[in-house]
Amino acid sequence: MAYHSPYRAAPQINAPPDQGFLWNIFQRVDKDRSGVISDSELQQALSNGTWTPFNPVTVRSIISMFDRENKGGVNFNEFAGVWKYITDWQNIFRTYDRDNSGFIDKNELKQALTGFGYRLSDQFYGTLIEKFDRQRKGQVAFDDFIQCCIVLQRLTDVFRRYDTDQDGWIQVSYEQYLSMVFNVV
Amino acid sequence: MAYPGYGAPPQAGYAMGQQDPLYGFFSSVAGQDGQISAEELQRCLTQCGMSGSYKPFNLETCRLMINMLDRDMSGSMGFNEFKELSSALNGWKQNFVTMDRDRSGTIDAQEMQQALSSMGYNFSPQALGVVLRRHSTLGRIAFDDYVACCVRLRSLTDHFRRRDSSQQGTAAFQYDDFIQVTMSS
Repeated sequence: MAYHSPYRAAPQINAPPDQGFLWNIFQRVDKDRSGVISDSELQQALSNGTWTPFNPVTVRSIISMFDRENKGGVNFNEFAGVWKYITDWQNIFRTYDRDNSGFIDKNELKQALTGFGYRLSDQFYGTLIEKFDRQRKGQVAFDDFIQCCIVLQRLTDVFRRYDTDQDGWIQVSYEQYLSMVFNVV
Repeated sequence: MAYPGYGAPPQAGYAMGQQDPLYGFFSSVAGQDGQISAEELQRCLTQCGMSGSYKPFNLETCRLMINMLDRDMSGSMGFNEFKELSSALNGWKQNFVTMDRDRSGTIDAQEMQQALSSMGYNFSPQALGVVLRRHSTLGRIAFDDYVACCVRLRSLTDHFRRRDSSQQGTAAFQYDDFIQVTMSS
């Protein structure tokens, strides 16, 4: 159950990149040379394979995950984490985009999420695609796939916080429930 | 804790769907199978002027509406469900229009609280804050956001009640169920 297995990105198959390599990338992405990569700079550097801008919500989520100082961007040290995070997701995406279409369809999404340990109904995968597919293709592009997984992870995290005895069940009041939901989705 | 009322009961008076003025709009969009998808619902609501002088509903809001009443989990909406939705929408719209005195298309947090209160929701300031943060932009709530909020509250409250077996105001959620319910509401 996704719930008990630590839900994490791809297994470590890449050696950590060398600093010189990362610094090169950082400089190229940090267009205004401020020493901090902003949301818009990161967005411009990322591709979702569709020639449309990378999902800004996903960009925000990623930056906020690694921005330890609440400055609205990432410095070079933090960027190492961003780079690894995105590379891991690229590997996962490539793994599950079995027909190499550049998109993950409903079946491929099902395999991916089941692989992560989620147990969700067949119907629900349709709901997920509809909810996250910004390209209106009935399949998810790279950025929307990440966004979907991020939201699922956040819901899992909030559930875990209430499941003190770790049995996969929570007992919550009405307001607790609404707060859990509206804080994440 | 207050459970909200759900507004007026289904309209009596039309013996057959065909005599219902709404049926014309519905069937022109639904086609042979008598079911409409989120896209078609968006078109249908625009055609019958449901959003009035406000901007047409977002696709995501339409999806939420379908999920709210989708008892057979089909992902689409039949005419009876559409009628029920129209009835609820009219009620919510009335509230909003009453509050939107300056016809700006938006209401403020306090007006939103009054609107929710009149629907039977009695939230603590904390819970209200969470709900408002999610559905407002710069302190104002646009009509679509307001409707999305009403739809979600109704859906989520429904889900909660069904899991509050002892009617004590707490509900039990299993993890997989929690994920699915939350993501589709």
